[in-house]
Amino acid sequence: MTERERLEALLNRQQVDRVAFFPIHGSFAAAMVGYSKVDVYENPEMAFWARLRTQEMFGQVERVSYSGGAFGAREFGSEVKMPTSEYSMTISLLKAAVQSEEDVWKLKVPDVKTAGVLPMMMRFSKLQAEYGLPISFNSGGILTIAGYIAGVERMCRWMIRRPELVHKLCRIVTDFLVAIAEYWVETFGPERMIPGTLAPTEANQIISPKQFEEFCLPYQKEVHEKLFGLGVKHIFTHVCGEQNLNLPLWAQIPMGDPGIVSFGNEVDLETASKYFPNDIIMGNVEPAVIQTGTPEQVYELSRICLQKGKKHPSGFFLGPGCDIPPKSPPYNVWTMRKAIEDFGWYD
Amino acid sequence: MLALPEPERIFINRIERGRILMASEERTQELIKGLYDAVVAMDEEQAAELSQVALREGVDAYYAVMNGLAAGMDKVGQLYAEQEYFVPELLLCSDALYAGLGILKPHIKAEEAHIKGQIVIGVAEGDVHDIGKNMVKIMFEAAGWTVHDLGKDVKLERFAEEQQRTKADVVAISALMTSSMLAIPQAIKMIRERDPKVAILAGGAPLTRDIATSYGADGYARNAGDVVQEAVKVLSRLKGN
Amino acid sequence: MPASRQEKMTKKERIDALLKGQPIDHVPFYPFVLGFCARNVGYPLSVIYSDSARSWEAQLWTHEEYGFDWGPIYGYASYGTWEFGGEVKMPQGAYEQAPTHITFPVQTEEGVYRLELPDVKKAGCLPLAMEFSRLQEKQGTPITLIFGGNFTIAGNICPVEKLCRWMIRKPELAHHILQLATDHIVDAVKYWADTYGGEQVIAQIWEPLASNDIISPKQFETFVLPYMQESGNKILGMGVKHIFYHICGEQNLNLPYWTQMPMGDLGICSIGSQIEIATAIKHLGTKAIIAGNIEPNILQTGPPQQVYRLCKEIIEAGKKAPRGFMLMSGCETPPETPPYNVYMMRKAIEDFGWYD
Repeated sequence: MTERERLEALLNRQQVDRVAFFPIHGSFAAAMVGYSKVDVYENPEMAFWARLRTQEMFGQVERVSYSGGAFGAREFGSEVKMPTSEYSMTISLLKAAVQSEEDVWKLKVPDVKTAGVLPMMMRFSKLQAEYGLPISFNSGGILTIAGYIAGVERMCRWMIRRPELVHKLCRIVTDFLVAIAEYWVETFGPERMIPGTLAPTEANQIISPKQFEEFCLPYQKEVHEKLFGLGVKHIFTHVCGEQNLNLPLWAQIPMGDPGIVSFGNEVDLETASKYFPNDIIMGNVEPAVIQTGTPEQVYELSRICLQKGKKHPSGFFLGPGCDIPPKSPPYNVWTMRKAIEDFGWYD
Repeated sequence: MLALPEPERIFINRIERGRILMASEERTQELIKGLYDAVVAMDEEQAAELSQVALREGVDAYYAVMNGLAAGMDKVGQLYAEQEYFVPELLLCSDALYAGLGILKPHIKAEEAHIKGQIVIGVAEGDVHDIGKNMVKIMFEAAGWTVHDLGKDVKLERFAEEQQRTKADVVAISALMTSSMLAIPQAIKMIRERDPKVAILAGGAPLTRDIATSYGADGYARNAGDVVQEAVKVLSRLKGN
Repeated sequence: MPASRQEKMTKKERIDALLKGQPIDHVPFYPFVLGFCARNVGYPLSVIYSDSARSWEAQLWTHEEYGFDWGPIYGYASYGTWEFGGEVKMPQGAYEQAPTHITFPVQTEEGVYRLELPDVKKAGCLPLAMEFSRLQEKQGTPITLIFGGNFTIAGNICPVEKLCRWMIRKPELAHHILQLATDHIVDAVKYWADTYGGEQVIAQIWEPLASNDIISPKQFETFVLPYMQESGNKILGMGVKHIFYHICGEQNLNLPYWTQMPMGDLGICSIGSQIEIATAIKHLGTKAIIAGNIEPNILQTGPPQQVYRLCKEIIEAGKKAPRGFMLMSGCETPPETPPYNVYMMRKAIEDFGWYD
């Protein structure tokens, strides 16, 4: 089977010959083709080719995506910092648009045709369409995006002191994401869509499951349901970081038919499998090991992931636990592919 | 939990001040517990009010800080490590701590204040995620350390420069991003070139104790709740050597 | 990297057949890829030259990943400095690629006559090279001893500017150094031949300093040809079957002399981008396997489409070589080459390099 056939088969709940290798790489892809990290965030064409070529080199699933980096920040007027340092990886928040309670009440859903990186995201999606690839756009995480609008610390304080402010933020983000989805579906039709919900701020390293339940769950569920109402069939959700306590809550959010749910190395794949029996699961080789571990360590982690993930009834992709760091030795990434050759075939 | 001084010492302190103090031993402990509870309950107003009351009623300011506020923050660290409290709670507890500290600190006599140590802290170059570092800063300040906070996205050479300037006992470097963790061994090398003896802690989500050790760090803590203890352990080990 | 067509031969079968002049399934890739391998596996660049085990590992893993043929090699262009008593520095900075000179063994005329032949068991990098060859033997990859050509070694013993001046002003000094370089080459290859058997060893000679950017063809005729012929003949006399000449840089005017070098049965001649493949075939194609010649600068900074097109042109020209052809970069693939560009070289072989 080709990589494209494997992806199509899993999305149609059909059997595949072996586990496929799913890409999560932005600035690593830049390094593979000799682009700067800033290039793959600020230039959609370079972002597209960097990712597609890297995916080709490593025999990965044919899916490229462009999340814009710190999505939500520029769209709502926050200031960002480009990844120009040797040690930076992605765009980061410099100054939040919301600095006070009054700022929250003044927030409006921006124009999805012109705000922030959305025009670049649309150019990227046009390339996806031109090359017959799944089309992506951002569908969350609600709190991650809210954090880029108001600053994570401020938002955390308000969760306890002024929950109505956080609810307002989440409402605005929800309406914003739905507006994006409507624009994308209107432009391309829903058939080839795989939007992405990327949720690092939702991790239990920051918020409690109770806070997830109050501030993320209802809104993220609403976004996903509305996307399905528009005809989108599959959502890629990245459950980033330590989220074991959130899993019963994530499980209440519909992911697709099937969805693709990816996990950080903190969540055991067998646990993930129990919570998402009807979705494809993905993961979850630790990025720090990919970056600084030996190939033997990467191979062994990949083997363990494959051993656990292959048992999942709705299908499994091998992938990193999060974005592959740009200084990862390429051989370590290739070692994951090698592990698939050795352990990833379905008999 | 910090050790309480002997009741006699409190009594002697009161006499030494040469004025008749109002708070009895029982009342003092009530106020101290109130401060402790205010921090744990994220009650800024209560922490501020009780700090004022404590002063009015002659409770030793340093005693109130260490056994009330700081002890409360110690408990908060424990609750965070146990995943009972999360970042929102930690932030609000620290607000309560600082509300009380702001009132009590000016009344701490210099000879009383026992500075536990000095620490330079910052987030490695290329990384702007500072929640973890801020949590650690709070824990050290609560425990009576002087903290020199370099902030986030700190150029590597700044850690060595600041340590030299302040003669800090400990330097703590954090990284949340896997890419910026690579800056840590470079920063440690620069620090060691100028002072081979200073204690260095490294931490952050992508690190483990093994990685921190391989980078040349003397210590590592998985979360803010454990870090002060780790610093004390490292210093004591290094002094013993 | 995932191959689009099933290989019909193993790497060893392919190289063995190539060296015997027998048919092969596709154009092999000769990996003149050193520092890049260190970057590829996350090792410091210096280990390629200072640590034979890690150099081996870095190259072997990278070859496995990209599907390169031939096998790991050990060598560098400033060979001779360390071996004759000077100092070299291992590459460390972001812009360094290979060992470089710190001090030369000879700085004065008097110094020339004080030079002694090194002990090939101990001198310079030779112990590391010997350890490396043990790994080559164990893995069944070609046992290759790499050293500068006679002239390049001479230009590493004393600074090449000095050598150039002496060639005109005091030719006896230049000849003295060149004779020592020649004798040293013979000694080193003999050591390898005694250890592994002459027929197992491939002597690989890199001659960048003899390029026409530095010396004239007439100077090549006087100061390179006779010495290289002497060492080449003696090497073949030890039972060595193949001599591999890396004809580096602009050497079009030297080609008539290169055709006179002892090659073995077969020789291998690799060329830089400055020499057309067709020209190399015309001069050397009846005696040697031709290898080359992707421009390293394009590998490092060109877009992948350009690399791919260039490889296609080179493969199509190279496949006409009557004694065989290997795709190779014109000189070392720069360590900072984008990995995708390296992949393009291999992809071009997949798409255009099959012999049907």
